[in-house]
Amino acid sequence: MACGSTSLWAGEATWFCCGSSWGPCSSTGTGACGTCQSSAHQAAWPNASAACFSITRPDLCGESIPRRGCGAVMTVKHQCSGSSVCVTVSDCGPRTKSFCGEATCCNGTCRTNRVIDLTPAAFSAIGNLSSGMLPVYIYE
Amino acid sequence: MSSPRSTSASGGRGLDRRRFLTTAALGGATIVGASALGGLDADAAFAAPTPSLDPAVPAAAFAEGRITAINGSVLEVAASNGGRHLIQLTNATSIWKLEPTTAEAVKVGDGLYARGVPMPDGTMAADALWVNIVNLAVTVRGIAKDRLHFAHGAHGLVGRVVPGTTAASYLAGALTSDLSQVRIGQSVQVLGAWRPEDGSVDIARMTVGH
Repeated sequence: MACGSTSLWAGEATWFCCGSSWGPCSSTGTGACGTCQSSAHQAAWPNASAACFSITRPDLCGESIPRRGCGAVMTVKHQCSGSSVCVTVSDCGPRTKSFCGEATCCNGTCRTNRVIDLTPAAFSAIGNLSSGMLPVYIYE
Repeated sequence: MSSPRSTSASGGRGLDRRRFLTTAALGGATIVGASALGGLDADAAFAAPTPSLDPAVPAAAFAEGRITAINGSVLEVAASNGGRHLIQLTNATSIWKLEPTTAEAVKVGDGLYARGVPMPDGTMAADALWVNIVNLAVTVRGIAKDRLHFAHGAHGLVGRVVPGTTAASYLAGALTSDLSQVRIGQSVQVLGAWRPEDGSVDIARMTVGH
């Protein structure tokens, strides 16, 4: 499946670890889809399934995020730099409901609410891991 | 799955930086402070990491794993999936280990994520190196003067408060060094540096949620 350019969503991207890894990440497993690896260009989506949605509840933050299941492909683009990365949905997350109203900004424009979690490989392709969060546009 | 080619207007800067980094790794160039390409911090490095259309400039590479040996400026890394990486540090490599630091802070046994450029000799010249960095979704289980106890999945995790470094953000507010509002049961995102010697995490930033 090719990475698309049709606008899907916008918001905050965070990062997480999964699969083969070190330290506290060594116990995280391969995620809800069973395929997640920190070194791959992958993502967690808050509406990867009904069960996933019941945990993340982006609707409680006003985000009616559409369902995209395991294997869905998205392009995640940094709001300001324009750098982008193509990722495959491989897990459920982030827990949007826990951080309603959180905003990440660049060049004076902010994106609100956590809407996608990227693996370290994917996040570092478009941003600095030590920033923890990025404002992004998401396409499919 | 295929990767898109970005149409960033600033792509030329990424290309220039990548070529610059490659040259630095091959030639052992010494760079002090900022260069004509702009600052050499990680944010600048990733401002426009556009895949190059020049076949002479290879695409960016990523590596993760634990350091098994340090030979001069080359890190030998055992990847978590069983592979092996040789990571070349240059004077243009930005390094983070709880805070921006230098190569002297990098130790055998540390975990890392690295981003850079694959070199003809099989090494990767690193744009940036994040040492022991973790970004974990946890729940607060206990609070002490100099540490916090978290639940991370089914496991316990000790978070160390680092005076002068640890900061918190409450419900999307500004960062503060005041941790007095942390409560047991809260969901927290912890960005910090894992300590291989005891498995705890030095906390750089905590984002406290609902």
